[in-house]
Amino acid sequence: MFDFLLLVRNENMKLYRRVRTWIMLGMITLLVLAISIIAKIVSDGDVDNWSMMSIETMVLFQLVTIFTVVVSADSVAGEFSTGTIKLLLIRPWSRSKILLSKYISLLMFALVQAALLYVLTFVVNMLLFGYGGSIVAQETFNSNMNPLGYMLVYYFYQFLGLIIIVTMAFMLSTVFRSSGLAIGLSIFLLLGGSTIAGMLSMLDYAWVDYILFLHLNLTQYMGGSESSGMTGEGMTLGFSLSVLAVYYVVFIALTWLIFNKRDVAA
Amino acid sequence: MELQTYSGPIVQLKNVTKVIGKRTIIDQLTLDLPEAEVFGFLGPNGSGKTTTIRMMVGLMALTNGDVIIRGHSIRTEFEKAIRHVGAIVENPEMYKYLTGYQNLLHYSRMVPGITSQRIDEVVELVGLTSRINDKVKTYSLGMRQRLGVAQAIMHKPSLLILDEPTNGLDPAGIRELRDYLRKLAKEDGITVFVSSHLLSEMELMCDRVAIIQSGKLIDVRSIRHEGEAAAAVSNVLFEVDKPDEALRLMASSYPGVPAQNGVTFMVDRDTIAAINTELVNAGLKVYGIRILNKSLEDQFLEMTGGENIV
Ligand SMILES: Nc1ncnc2c1ncn2[C@@H]1O[C@H](COP(=O)(O)OP(=O)(O)OP(=O)(O)O)[C@@H](O)[C@H]1O
Ligand SMILES: [Mg+2]
Repeated sequence: MFDFLLLVRNENMKLYRRVRTWIMLGMITLLVLAISIIAKIVSDGDVDNWSMMSIETMVLFQLVTIFTVVVSADSVAGEFSTGTIKLLLIRPWSRSKILLSKYISLLMFALVQAALLYVLTFVVNMLLFGYGGSIVAQETFNSNMNPLGYMLVYYFYQFLGLIIIVTMAFMLSTVFRSSGLAIGLSIFLLLGGSTIAGMLSMLDYAWVDYILFLHLNLTQYMGGSESSGMTGEGMTLGFSLSVLAVYYVVFIALTWLIFNKRDVAA
Repeated sequence: MELQTYSGPIVQLKNVTKVIGKRTIIDQLTLDLPEAEVFGFLGPNGSGKTTTIRMMVGLMALTNGDVIIRGHSIRTEFEKAIRHVGAIVENPEMYKYLTGYQNLLHYSRMVPGITSQRIDEVVELVGLTSRINDKVKTYSLGMRQRLGVAQAIMHKPSLLILDEPTNGLDPAGIRELRDYLRKLAKEDGITVFVSSHLLSEMELMCDRVAIIQSGKLIDVRSIRHEGEAAAAVSNVLFEVDKPDEALRLMASSYPGVPAQNGVTFMVDRDTIAAINTELVNAGLKVYGIRILNKSLEDQFLEMTGGENIV
């Protein structure tokens, strides 16, 4: 068979030819600029670039996740809603590969946003607040690591959580075949999930430990491998990763199974 | 390609059956589509045309039976079978936020060997050259239909499936499409499978028509075209001043049937002239001669009982 990458290119074309995508990338850019400039104006010189980068990343990575979830939830369902799925599936490609091309382009979109956020928060804050040396960085992050390296690890952990939640949205997109429902439900789970899980985690049941939303924020392990956040005592990075891996496999299996089996009656 | 060696019907539907829930929507449909023909698929609303087409292109699973395209089963060798198919299923839905050209580019990347010249060629062919770089959301229904045809023929399929392709086309567009489909069948040897309930339309376009009702195939019949008309027998009305005398006169050679204002005969083309001469020689006045062939529409309504949607 010929080039699978052409399928990914098609998906990218459909993604980046939409105004929506550019509004999302524009919003990330504008918010970084806005937050940094406001901080520059109100602060009296005691703010360093690392703490700004860290705060902005914490807030705006949530936005990156939301944007990617919206695009994922619309990815398959949107083709069903508009009926374009029919012309897409009558090509000499298996449904699995078409689905894979969509999934890859979504992860690439998440990566593009994360890279944009990383570069912007570093460059903008350095220009506004100057380059804080290693002592400043050490104070901010409480770690001896190179600050850019530390941020990279932070992004990596965040990205793992993002992959899981995006895969869940992608699954909902395939199951419901309606963009509105898939987007709504995904956002609800993304925003409400951690709240509900937080409440449940106060209960003393064994199964509570296996709730997905308790494990999505892996950055809580950055101080050391023991959890410091809401996951509660006794949780380790290894345990969280195992739980996430199981969810991931289930999401992927269901998505591909359903997409391959479904009659297309759009 | 391996296709050159394959001979036999391009497409075979074998006992194609679809059951959804407890309803049998398509019931053991068996049909061979020969090469180089425009094959009509006629049926009232809800008779199962679109469902059949969905199964032929692998969008719906078959409950039973199989569809073989150029020797490949759509069930077990989907990619090989679909490679030779171009289709529009129901409405030609395209990506509205892309231009017409970007839509074609999108589909062209999914089948090997489609050059940019080929894309330009089909754009020209469907008459969209001046609008191809506009977003599809600005297109009229007919323009979308044309773009749909373009994506279906772009990879030179050997089976072209069109579900109600004239929907939304203006008379000139319908005529162009009709001529083009006949040309595709005759010159390029493509099998064209067209569904429609525009019956008169099918008569002009198709070599053969399969009629389906409530998911069952009820008839397959050939349709004559101009060239073959001479030899065929048709029902001809002679308008004359004295019908009774005309009947008596012709009784021995050509039995006729009395009709309003005249007599009808089942005869071929040459006999029409002969009867006319005899009537005139006998001193009758012939006011008019009309061929009364039942249109497919009449036959169709007769067959399906002109009934409502089931
Ligand atoms: N997904 C589905 N679930 C249940 N029934 C269905 C489904 N799709 C179609 N049907 C039923 O199958 C029958 C055939 O529908 P189909 O769309 O194939 O008809 P059609 O011949 O294309 O009609 P039309 O001329 O209106 O386009 C209809 O009675 C319809 O209600
Ligand atoms: Mg239909």
